[in-house]
Amino acid sequence: MAFDMSQVKELFRSIGVEYYALELDATDDGASIQQVLVELTNQRTVPNVFVNGTHIGGCDATYQAYQDGSLQKLLGDNQITEPYEYDLIIIGGGSGGLACSKEAATLGKKVMVLDYVVPTPLGTSWGLGGTCVNVGCIPKKLMHQAALLGQALQDSRKYGWQYEEQVKHNWEIMVEAIQNYIGSLNWGYRVSLREKSVTYLNSYGEFVEPHKIKATNRKGQVTYHTAETFVLATGERPRYLGIPGDKEFCITSDDLFSLPYCPGKTLVVGASYVALECAGFLAGLGLDVTVMVRSILLRGFDQEMAEKVGAYMETHGVKFVRKFVPVQVEQLEQGMPGRLKVTAKSTEGSEIFAEEYNTVLIAIGRDACTRNIGLQTIGVKINEKNGKVPVNDEEQTNVPYVYAIGDILDGKLELTPVAIQAGRLLAQRLYGGSSRKCDYINVPTTVFTPLEYGSCGYPEEKAMEEYGKQNLEVYHTLFWPLEWTVAGRDNNTCYAKIICNKQDNNRVIGLHVLGPNAGEVTQGFAAAIKCGLTKELLDETIGIHPTCAEVFTTMDITKSSGQDITQKGC
Amino acid sequence: MAQRLALQRLLSLPARGSLASHGRALGTSAGRRSTFNVQDGSDFQDRVVNSPKPVVVDFHAQWCGPCKILGPRLEKLVAKLEGKVLMAKVDIDDHTDLAIEYEVSAVPTVLAMKNGDVVDKFVGIKDEDQLEAFLKKLIGA
Repeated sequence: MAFDMSQVKELFRSIGVEYYALELDATDDGASIQQVLVELTNQRTVPNVFVNGTHIGGCDATYQAYQDGSLQKLLGDNQITEPYEYDLIIIGGGSGGLACSKEAATLGKKVMVLDYVVPTPLGTSWGLGGTCVNVGCIPKKLMHQAALLGQALQDSRKYGWQYEEQVKHNWEIMVEAIQNYIGSLNWGYRVSLREKSVTYLNSYGEFVEPHKIKATNRKGQVTYHTAETFVLATGERPRYLGIPGDKEFCITSDDLFSLPYCPGKTLVVGASYVALECAGFLAGLGLDVTVMVRSILLRGFDQEMAEKVGAYMETHGVKFVRKFVPVQVEQLEQGMPGRLKVTAKSTEGSEIFAEEYNTVLIAIGRDACTRNIGLQTIGVKINEKNGKVPVNDEEQTNVPYVYAIGDILDGKLELTPVAIQAGRLLAQRLYGGSSRKCDYINVPTTVFTPLEYGSCGYPEEKAMEEYGKQNLEVYHTLFWPLEWTVAGRDNNTCYAKIICNKQDNNRVIGLHVLGPNAGEVTQGFAAAIKCGLTKELLDETIGIHPTCAEVFTTMDITKSSGQDITQKGC
Repeated sequence: MAQRLALQRLLSLPARGSLASHGRALGTSAGRRSTFNVQDGSDFQDRVVNSPKPVVVDFHAQWCGPCKILGPRLEKLVAKLEGKVLMAKVDIDDHTDLAIEYEVSAVPTVLAMKNGDVVDKFVGIKDEDQLEAFLKKLIGA
């Protein structure tokens, strides 16, 4: 009861409403008041809450009224309602924030977007557009492409190209070209916001009161702004190890894509797709790369595919140190790059690993930027364990006028197209009279490691957990891309599988492919899966020849049959 | 204020060498003098909007490839006109407000300004003949 009482007081405090609390156990006629309350309201328990004379109920009822807005309506008469400066303020100018803002502006609303990049420990910063554009998908794919071109040069000789020169890679030329492209994207976003009359502030936004934020720019100048509705789209930043030397000497993906010097011999710490993709292209550019993995690769992804991704990288020169965690990074020599000494401990014993590297790249995960934006001031709940924001299926937080989209959502996918879709649909629901919700099921993804991995739907383990192994049929095959034959590249390495639900017409509930252009291959099948693709429909579809994708139309060996899938010829 | 007016009058004089001491113009050779980098909004006001001579304004960006070709090409032709036209260079990332005020979307964007008004404009790279015609029109008209 005391807990409920303080909960209710906390609620009113968080929305800036003055309350009068009558403590029945501190009043002489407390018992008789309690009796009258029962007669009036049929409620014996405390707290018993009244707003402007209207009976609400206890703690739960009060929270409910706050959630559905009826509490605010009751309070409305008492408040001097000043019109809000904006209809919508969005904190974060990344994939989600920008998409939402432009859609809302198109629907005629007055919108403000705040975007501010807190520099990395090494001082790296970037412009408008968020992670994807500046330090994520875009530069990643371009560097992956640079590495693939290196491989293509090697293959070219087998196709008859003859040249004497030894081809080398120049890191600085690549980074300059990529940063120039990103610069044009940053500018493009500024222009598009201006064209849609969205106000843009390059300032750090934080809540100071309900419906009000404080915006601080780079020079420390402060302005305040109010809005009827807010959207949190602050994204994430790389997590550090928390060991001596990590922030002073190590870099993260935030620094890698604009690094003004070649990283040289690199240790990548982590087994996320960020770690593997970066390790992959660095090795592809000719650098000496080691990946230090604590336990498994690509947590959350299909593990059979993850191990194959790792195996390919290993046969192509990437070293793996498994079941070790770094405990210390020391600087032996300053420089561009310098020399660092890394000491690591085994997770299964007392073995120590020590080695020298030019660069250490930490890619062990990303943390949501929700801890320092004043959410506690207005009562927005976050998941204390990971800092992410729990929302309902309309992206609404526990505070009705505050929504959240993108990487910061608890339990949702961290992908640009998901954030964009969620942002657009949210604006349409808020201002366009739509009721369409974002569909988070069967979202396709691709990991751009040296051998790319595309997937849509369930990983095999999750499918077995959900449906039971006996109710699934998994079809699979190895394949040899035609382009690799003349080039003399690995056969029996590329792999594809589909997971079908026997109880539902052999519905395809998971599709996985490891091979070149995996992203391009997977996209179309994602649409088919959305249409309810079954094994039969897949078999009825005629393949395009010669492609890699056509393997999905002729898959007939099942895992359960135990038959050999090794390819022997055409 | 008075200092700025005096400076402005000085800038419009064909006298050589005197500008070098003010440290604003690029280099000291006759050719480079007619081109300058805009420092800020009030600098733009003084040297472009309030300029008695027509000014060609080159909006460019570090990340823009074509800008790196157009810039020197335009500078060379402006220099040949020996002070009849001045050229102001504006980096749109350093001076975003200015770029937005003049509605720059893509770069390079070149404006021809006379007595504070935009009298001509083009976007994208141009060859020498086209640039010569552009400049001729500006001083002629």
